[in-house]
Amino acid sequence: MTVAAALQIAILGLLLGGVYALMSSGLTLMFGVMRVVNLAHGAFIVLAAYFSFFMWDLVGIDPFVSMVLALPLFFLLGAVVYRVFFPRIEGSPRFTEMTVLMTFGFAFVVEGLMSYYFTGIFRTASPGYARVSITVGSFYIPTGQLLAAGASALLLISLWAFLKFTHTGYGVRATMQNRDAAQIVGVDVRRVSTVAFGIGMALAGGAGALISFILPFFPARHWQWIAILLSLVVLGGMGSLKGAVIGALGLAVASSFVGDIVGLVWAPITFFGALFVILMVRPQGLFGKKARV
Amino acid sequence: MAEQTTLGHPVELGEMARPSRVRWAVVGVATLLLLVLPLARFLDSYNYVLQIATVIFMWVSLSSSWNILGGYTGYISLGHNVFFGIGGYVAGLLLLELGWSPFLTAPLAGLVSMLLGLVAGLITYRTQGPSFIISTIALLLVVTLLMDNWSYLGGSSGLSLPLPGFDRDWLKVPFYYAMLVAAIGAVLLAYRVQHSKFGLALRAIASDEVKAEMAGISTRRFKVMAFSLSAFFPGVVGAVWGYSLAYLRPVIFFLIAVAARMVLMAIIGGRGTVAGPVIGAILIVVLDEASVSFLGASELNLVITGLLLVVTLLFFPLGIVGTLRDKNRLPSWLDWD
Repeated sequence: MTVAAALQIAILGLLLGGVYALMSSGLTLMFGVMRVVNLAHGAFIVLAAYFSFFMWDLVGIDPFVSMVLALPLFFLLGAVVYRVFFPRIEGSPRFTEMTVLMTFGFAFVVEGLMSYYFTGIFRTASPGYARVSITVGSFYIPTGQLLAAGASALLLISLWAFLKFTHTGYGVRATMQNRDAAQIVGVDVRRVSTVAFGIGMALAGGAGALISFILPFFPARHWQWIAILLSLVVLGGMGSLKGAVIGALGLAVASSFVGDIVGLVWAPITFFGALFVILMVRPQGLFGKKARV
Repeated sequence: MAEQTTLGHPVELGEMARPSRVRWAVVGVATLLLLVLPLARFLDSYNYVLQIATVIFMWVSLSSSWNILGGYTGYISLGHNVFFGIGGYVAGLLLLELGWSPFLTAPLAGLVSMLLGLVAGLITYRTQGPSFIISTIALLLVVTLLMDNWSYLGGSSGLSLPLPGFDRDWLKVPFYYAMLVAAIGAVLLAYRVQHSKFGLALRAIASDEVKAEMAGISTRRFKVMAFSLSAFFPGVVGAVWGYSLAYLRPVIFFLIAVAARMVLMAIIGGRGTVAGPVIGAILIVVLDEASVSFLGASELNLVITGLLLVVTLLFFPLGIVGTLRDKNRLPSWLDWD
């Protein structure tokens, strides 16, 4: 493999990694703030992809417009889901485990409804920019992927700015660091959790809209995605946003190489292989603190 | 119950020594009925009932096995159907390559599954809670990917198996008995685990792993053992099930929905109880049949699975058996612990 070919693969990997980073950021946020492992995150991403696909296919609205629309819609959905379901199980002794099982149930409900109404056909939205690419020197860059990675970066930077500079963002970060202590110093943990869950879901909505024109999808597709995303989250250290982003970029590049050398179908093995290795060597993940389960 | 378990006070070991007469009568009558059920073939074309019973036995075996890891030990596996599929493929290959009947090789298939369970246990034993659950999903997806793309095993289109050479009218009967044996075996295994020091250790791990470790229990060894043990019967029933379908295909065994079924049955019946997975399996299989014949769409079946899981967790997380016991209203014929 020449250096130029390797660079080309790395570029494609990085572009995909940007979207993976966005997809896993919501998951990480939910775990970090609420200790919720949301197995339905992938299913909601697929739901958003359908939203964007049908907006494009039936109404002709551009996926980027759908993305902007999906953010508040999915925020609301997230806030409602959180308020309806989670306070009921808040006191249970194995809360995180309960959330895994409950969101496992959500995933089947969402997948089943999507299969019923949208059928199992592969879908991809096909706006003009998804079919062309630009050439920089000797490298070619698919325009759609570039735009999607750019939008992901923008959303991730907004998330960072929100967490860093707003009052609610302080509350979210405080809750991520220590839930009990945050409550003691006067953070309204319930409200912060609702907001954080909403934001996590909004990120799923945004990611889904972007996915709709770069990856083909069908209802059951979310299992593969959620497994990849969860691998990233564990790898980065559960609840570490920085870890999830670095893990997403690094492993997406690695998986592009695996896909190129071994065969495209084996690319996902990269994520799971990395997960197993990290679990054996450093169970708390790259950037995680020793777990207190 | 796990909360009452105190190490060094084997309370439950004492309690097991008073089986009520009613319970044994119920068990005896039920066993007798199950043994003679295939005779109903003479009355009518009774194959439908036989088929449903066979499927119920299969799920009893699967969810009781899951319960050893997910119920007693408190380690939830969402990829446990891996062992179900491995069993199916091991027995199928032995049939195709060597002509050995899966009825004879099923225990061997179970042992291979156990071995894989041991490996999986060794990979994951340092993880807890969510990380463990995630790694079981990853395990499932890795195996699915392998099976989908391994041309020797037919890839995603699978392998066809020769039908057994029995008389067509009686074709279902040997499968019925094989699954019955697997179901009884898995329930007995769960019972033995429940009433052994090993089971006590597992429940100690479930209620507080750090304390269990400090009390001198080698938690890692016990967890790996529980993982391995819970993989045996899924392998056995996988072998029998694959043979009864006469073909093996990754989508039959490796869909995560199959794992979800095991989890749902154990939870709805009562996690960590012997009778729970049995009740859960009967309930869900019957419900499945009803929903397929009334609604006719398997997608909605998925929705029902999800809804049932959510509703159970929200309103009676202890499951049917656990909730009834909690309220002291568990009838003695359901108290198998």
